[in-house]
Amino acid sequence: MEYFLALVKKPDNVPILAILFLIPYFIWLAYKQARQTDRTGVPSDAALNDKVYVWPYLCRNEFVCAIIVMLVLGVWSIMIDAPLEEPSDPAKTPNPSKAPWYFLALQEMLVYFDPWIAGVVLPGFIIAGLIAIPYIDINPKGKGYYTIKERPFALAVFCFGFIILWIVLMIVGTFLRGPGWNIFMPWQYWDPHKIVPLTNVNLSYLFGIRDDTTANFFGFAIVAGYFALGPIFYFWKYKTSRFLQELGLVRYVIVSFLFLSMVALPIKMILRLALNIKYVWVSPWFNI
Amino acid sequence: MNEERKGLKEKITNSDIWKSIFRHGYEKTGRRYTLQVLQNVWLHLHPPRISRHALNFRFTWCMGGITFLMFLVTAVTGVLLMFYYRPVAEYAFSDVQALEFDIPFGMLLRNMHRWAAHGMVISVMLHMFRVFLTGSYKKPREFNWAVGVILLLITFFLSFTGYLLPWDQLAYWAVTVGTNMARATPVLGHEGPFTPTDIVTQANDVRFALLGGTIVGPSTLLRFYILHCIAVPLVASLLMALHFWRVRKDGGISGPL
Amino acid sequence: MSSRRNFFNVLGWGSFTAALGLCFGPGLVRYLYPRVLYEPSSVFKAGFPAEYPPGSVSEKYKKEPFGVWIVRREDGIFYALLTTCTHLGCTPRWLSSESKFKCPCHGSGFDRDGINYEGPAPRPLERVKITLAEDGQLQIDKSVKFLGEKDQWGDPGASLKV
Repeated sequence: MEYFLALVKKPDNVPILAILFLIPYFIWLAYKQARQTDRTGVPSDAALNDKVYVWPYLCRNEFVCAIIVMLVLGVWSIMIDAPLEEPSDPAKTPNPSKAPWYFLALQEMLVYFDPWIAGVVLPGFIIAGLIAIPYIDINPKGKGYYTIKERPFALAVFCFGFIILWIVLMIVGTFLRGPGWNIFMPWQYWDPHKIVPLTNVNLSYLFGIRDDTTANFFGFAIVAGYFALGPIFYFWKYKTSRFLQELGLVRYVIVSFLFLSMVALPIKMILRLALNIKYVWVSPWFNI
Repeated sequence: MNEERKGLKEKITNSDIWKSIFRHGYEKTGRRYTLQVLQNVWLHLHPPRISRHALNFRFTWCMGGITFLMFLVTAVTGVLLMFYYRPVAEYAFSDVQALEFDIPFGMLLRNMHRWAAHGMVISVMLHMFRVFLTGSYKKPREFNWAVGVILLLITFFLSFTGYLLPWDQLAYWAVTVGTNMARATPVLGHEGPFTPTDIVTQANDVRFALLGGTIVGPSTLLRFYILHCIAVPLVASLLMALHFWRVRKDGGISGPL
Repeated sequence: MSSRRNFFNVLGWGSFTAALGLCFGPGLVRYLYPRVLYEPSSVFKAGFPAEYPPGSVSEKYKKEPFGVWIVRREDGIFYALLTTCTHLGCTPRWLSSESKFKCPCHGSGFDRDGINYEGPAPRPLERVKITLAEDGQLQIDKSVKFLGEKDQWGDPGASLKV
């Protein structure tokens, strides 16, 4: 327990403690307003044309908000000192060696994927996917107000990515990772010599494939099938639906690819944790 | 007496110097409220009037504004910290120590800089979350959402480059782990997949450009310092100006329309 | 008429952008790679072979600016392992009781030969050139690497028989 408390008390972890309260609060706030809109309908135009002067009304709000935030920041800065550890020593790696809290979801991905996937490809997809959102979400409804009913799919996907894959992984990385980057529960002792038997095998090995070339083709088939079969089946079944007609083929391919890439992360985590799968696809050039 | 004071006040506000600075008086009229925004350099990014719902904290969460405020705080405290900090491996750590123990308010400024940076990361995340939840990225705000994503990245990069500067264990290893991902960049990193290893080596890959060497060393400190204090804030300021300007040009804070 | 104008418009602006890009793009990139590096020398001497008992892993030269473990096997063969984890470049620790190099960052483990056998490290620790200098001391050259996954450990210089 003392190790967990030490983590909680660490000055650099104050923000993530704050997030622990802020995120649920704002989700609740948004949920309440969305429920209200869904029940009573979108606010009418009359309310919209109700305009107020920026000066003094908005400026006053901004000013009060700035003062409150500066007060919080001031108290925070007086109460808690920014950490300064020993001078840098290239020969002595601290154990565990953690990045700042906002990178811990990224560092968590490194456990499940090789560095070039976790550190380069997946972040690239995240950025590209975020930028692509407005161009692939063609639903004209739900613009400028909270709602759940009018855009359930978009909300579900984004909240899954934002809350589960980002915030939760960040919290896991901050509070549950100990020496050797092993998982330690809050009540456990941080044993730097803890030995976790690693019996990870590749997926092809699990299927009894021992030959490298066959394993390569097998892995390629699995990955390609994962990205192709579902979207093709869905397209074949619903191609005449109005939704797909409006979306168009190009957008459809991009949406399904980005969506499957995002879901691939939790799938790989489950494969690793439940079945001890190291790689799904082992090729001479890279492993996934 | 009162008359006298009033006379003095009018004398001052009617003086040429006063008038050259403040272009007009302040009356509580709609025309005045409009001019106050339109003719003020600090406020001119705002429209004169906005919908009432945009004032609602429950709707906006205020997070975009708080992000900007945090940026301003880090800029001011950062400039002050620069007076005492030397980005040289021999001095960096002891300069930070001196800031903490020898310089009046040095500790407070460093704390404010650090926590404002962390606060900025939180508020920018929440800002993005809110903009998504209200669907505010939809037409005609698509491009501004893209600018926002880039600004999110820049916020992370600013935090990351700033992390190295104290030159302590935390800094050194966080940056070692972070920059080592660049090793594994496909084609451009010397350990990445598809890299022609006879051409791309440790001494000319993409990680080298970031580190200024093959190891995290003095030249890395200098490069990160320049990126942190000049290059990235400059880009961030330009993009922020664009971001705010587009908020207004795309119709102000989004609402149900 | 208008299409010719359009063509020259595109040509003009295109060549302007290309010229600007060619001048500043590669130039800026090249500027980031200096001709001379002031990094510690990659060649150093590491004492006499007799200082290392057979079956030992020496951490004497782990510190900056050296960064190698000098391993002497029971059969007297020397090799030098770079103290950089092949996963993300942290410095592993030598745990003599478990006879392995363990990386604190993500838990990669390497045996005393540098073979990766646990954790996320994708390949063995790198070996660097080890030779005997004229004065009888061990000489390490960190600029020459031998990679286990490319079967280079049998190459001359990858190990030293004394």
